[in-house]
Amino acid sequence: MEMSSEDRGRHGALLYESQDAYREFAVPFLSEGLEVGEGAIVAHTRPGLAMMREALGSDAAHVTFVDVSSAYTRPARTLASYHQVYVEQLGKSPSLRGIADVQFGLDPAEWDLWTAYEAVFNRSFEHLPAWVVCTYNANGTPDPIIDGVWRTHPEVHAGDAWHTSDRFEDPDELLGELTPEPRPLSGLRSIGFGRDLEEFRDGLARVLAAEKVSDATVLDMLLAATEIAENAIEHGGGVADVRVGHADGRFVCEVVDRGEGFDDPTAGYLAPRPGVGRGLWVARQLTWRLEFFAAPDGFTARIWL
Amino acid sequence: MPSDRLTPRQEHDLVIGAEAGDADASRKLVEAFLPAIVGVAAHFPTAVRVERQELVQEGVAGLLFAARRYDTSLETPFWAYASFWVRKSMQELVAELARPVALSDRAVRGLALLGRARSEYLQAHGSEPTDGELSRATGLTRTQIESLQATQRRPRALEEPLDGAAEAVATVGDTIVDPVAEREYEQVLDEIEIDEVRDLADELDARERRVLRAHYGLGEPVQTLSQIGGRLGLTAERARQIEVGALQKLRERISRAAPVRANV
Repeated sequence: MEMSSEDRGRHGALLYESQDAYREFAVPFLSEGLEVGEGAIVAHTRPGLAMMREALGSDAAHVTFVDVSSAYTRPARTLASYHQVYVEQLGKSPSLRGIADVQFGLDPAEWDLWTAYEAVFNRSFEHLPAWVVCTYNANGTPDPIIDGVWRTHPEVHAGDAWHTSDRFEDPDELLGELTPEPRPLSGLRSIGFGRDLEEFRDGLARVLAAEKVSDATVLDMLLAATEIAENAIEHGGGVADVRVGHADGRFVCEVVDRGEGFDDPTAGYLAPRPGVGRGLWVARQLTWRLEFFAAPDGFTARIWL
Repeated sequence: MPSDRLTPRQEHDLVIGAEAGDADASRKLVEAFLPAIVGVAAHFPTAVRVERQELVQEGVAGLLFAARRYDTSLETPFWAYASFWVRKSMQELVAELARPVALSDRAVRGLALLGRARSEYLQAHGSEPTDGELSRATGLTRTQIESLQATQRRPRALEEPLDGAAEAVATVGDTIVDPVAEREYEQVLDEIEIDEVRDLADELDARERRVLRAHYGLGEPVQTLSQIGGRLGLTAERARQIEVGALQKLRERISRAAPVRANV
């Protein structure tokens, strides 16, 4: 399969059985792109990068190597990290090919989160001239994760051939299905919005100081909450209420607006581009979790710090 | 093996603090789980020579990574979750060390140059050249020479006798001291760089940082814009403008878009 100039956001997967099989796929995949002037990115653990540097030979000098050992923390942050790499690469080449080893853990409780990440990856970078292949070592990887690969990648390379996945699911629908329903939180208190964004931010800063929220994250919350409140003013008819408190040991801030709300599971996961606002993208990166839901007193954005 | 130094609530709070970039929480979390990490390192199977302290440091990196990823609302206990990432980090180090060193063309040429210089010196003087003599003969710096020589050292197995002496009884493994030695913990902690803080303020200039820190009470009491302006010799309105500009700068930094090409 060759990349054409019309391709945007092409997202495939490689299921490999051995390091040799990985190399035999990855090296020609990247070299073919380099030959026609595309950028090349390898994202892997340190030993994986060392293996690829060696395998690529002199081509390695033209490849961007990304250590993913600590990159897969939260889906929004991982997407942002890749976005940063793509931004830099696309400043140097008209298009790119990337190959990324995905770091699923062994705890089944978090598999849905990372399958959701793979689903939204299809949408997050769909506007970019990039062909990214996510790689999975099929040896020892639990079946539910492999099943998720087929559900989230339109094309999968397995057994030395590309296959169009007949299990691929609409990314928005799958993301919605895998996103847990927000649960009611008791114990939050209203602090009101104030007259404008600055007054809102001042009030929230006082609360954060009084609650002894770590200095390391105060600015994160202030920036994220500002984006959410600005969104509520622009698209939600204004802020009706602001509630704060703690839940599960985390500081929580809810912004209730006066609008009808939206039902978009990709909100905040789409990389900035013309026509897509940056506010929720920023807010997701800076916080642990964002939730949007209809509540009796209005459409609510819940920010978990 | 959960930490016996923390209550579940303390552990929960430290994990959240570490995830948030709180250096003090990260350090306390590491201190609490260091015995468990050292325990994993002490029995970590490896066919290459690796210092236990290196394994422990990788394990600590794995623990802090786990803290950044762990969802405290899930039912999996933290150590049950984190131990996978601790082992994985150690495994990656071992895999990295076990790989044969791939040399660039330049390094291969450098090694050939060193080899010729050493042979010529041996022939001329009948003894091994020092690094300084090799440096003079090749034009390479001492650092370059040391790096090139290091690539030729073969990995050493854990059970390999020390100093290569066949009759030696001590092995590298034998040199590993008591895994619960407090002194070792402290040494590891001193050498670990806990750099988990997403310090957005690093993006700003000194004046912008001062305004944001003072107005939002970051490490100091909250002040009004008038008070801040007074300290900096500015009007309150000017301090407000600096604050708004600083926040906008941070937003831009986080949300930079990819370049858009019309005809790609």
